[in-house]
Amino acid sequence: MTKRIEEQGAPVPADSDPVVRVSSLTKLYGQVVAVDDLSFSLEAGTITGFLGPNGAGKTTTLRLLLGLAEPTAGEALVFGRSYRELDQPARRVGAVLESSDVHPGRSGRDHLRALALAAEIPSGRVEEALVLVELEAVAERRVKTYSLGMRQRLGLAGALLGDPELLVLDEPANGLDPAGVRWLRRFLRWFTGQGRTVLISSHMLAEAAQTVDHVVIIDQGREVASGRLDELTERGRTLEDVFLELTGGAP
Amino acid sequence: MAQLRAELLKQRSTRTGLALFVTMLGLVLLAVFLHGFGLSAGDLEGTDVQLMVFGRGEFLAATFAALLGAMSFTAEIRHGTIRSTFLVTPRRGRVVAAKVAASMLIGTGFGLVAGAAAVGAGAAALRARGIDVQLDGGDYMLLVLGSAVAAALLAAVGVGVGALVRYQVPTLIGICAWLLFVEGLLVGDVGGLGDVGRFLPGAAAAAISGQGPGTLLAPETGVVLLAFYAAATALTGALATSRRDVG
Repeated sequence: MTKRIEEQGAPVPADSDPVVRVSSLTKLYGQVVAVDDLSFSLEAGTITGFLGPNGAGKTTTLRLLLGLAEPTAGEALVFGRSYRELDQPARRVGAVLESSDVHPGRSGRDHLRALALAAEIPSGRVEEALVLVELEAVAERRVKTYSLGMRQRLGLAGALLGDPELLVLDEPANGLDPAGVRWLRRFLRWFTGQGRTVLISSHMLAEAAQTVDHVVIIDQGREVASGRLDELTERGRTLEDVFLELTGGAP
Repeated sequence: MAQLRAELLKQRSTRTGLALFVTMLGLVLLAVFLHGFGLSAGDLEGTDVQLMVFGRGEFLAATFAALLGAMSFTAEIRHGTIRSTFLVTPRRGRVVAAKVAASMLIGTGFGLVAGAAAVGAGAAALRARGIDVQLDGGDYMLLVLGSAVAAALLAAVGVGVGALVRYQVPTLIGICAWLLFVEGLLVGDVGGLGDVGRFLPGAAAAAISGQGPGTLLAPETGVVLLAFYAAATALTGALATSRRDVG
């Protein structure tokens, strides 16, 4: 698997803008403050864990970043621009928000082909992406026959179609078995090893601690900590200790 | 153009379109034969009744095309694929435009097949009962081509309604209730406003295929009016889609 991954080509980003820059981002839903004056940025070549309890505003932040929702105030930029202003965004940013985001009656291959057509990505890339996530044998099957882990990998294949420089994943380890989790971890290391960047939301701290090198921790829509994982967890504290202390979940 | 090809592939790659097509065709034959063999010979000799019976093709094609157009949007909401669709094409107006174009193309096909099937089945039923067909070549052409135009335009209306309502079940129930029931109630003099029913979308669609001469609008007026409805709903749907957050 790792060998296969290494055979794929990779672009090296050459941008002076930070890969992601979130400034004073705020999102209200009625009276509810989902994201509250949040600011952080991502450096190229890092895997950042975007951590927080359920309902902390992680998914909302990712939707704002990806142009699916409009901020109430502040901004979230990718490569210095709002997502909706990127030319050919699929070639710069790949994202998986929910693993169930596939029509159950469509084959995995057709799901990817439709995305590739819309993104004007050559159809050969669909086959490469299927091989990359090891779904080529089931590509003709309808997605309703897929396991949750297979759907996760299909989502990842869709995100990788454009060979992007930034990968945004919302809870990617959900539904993966231990082998799948290890595969994902290796994949993400390989991906960032080429100077590309990953933003991963998660509340699975043990897994995150093994995968990420930077963290942004939010609670109730606000940032409570950010920085290098090794600096946050120095003096023998685990990521879980830090997280629970900061998010008020410590016993 | 890239988005149109993607939308056509989405339509081809599930069984929804085929299921709608087969159901539509079955209902066309059922409706035409029920009328053709069920109505009295005296009724069936009239041109208006023959146009109505042969016009079941237009009616069902337009209804199913509207459902197909609506589902091109609501199915993406239901299954969450709208997220990846908008990630790849953040200019959401283009996505709605591509759905309109794809649904209109498929709607045209629905209309041609349903129109021709209704004309063929109707003529066969009348011949079997020894009733003279009062319609000429011009009527037949209008029934088939008008059915295609009506279905294409209602497919666009369907996309617009789907983009506005977003949720699949309310959208489909709303479209069916409107075309199959509500418009049927609004015939004749409605609340002292006069015969406004003929200006409604379903009635305009029927007019395009030459049904109801004298009561409905002229076919060309029906085209203009239904095209206006199609443009208005599709544009409103596109605007709403561009402004609203995606859940």
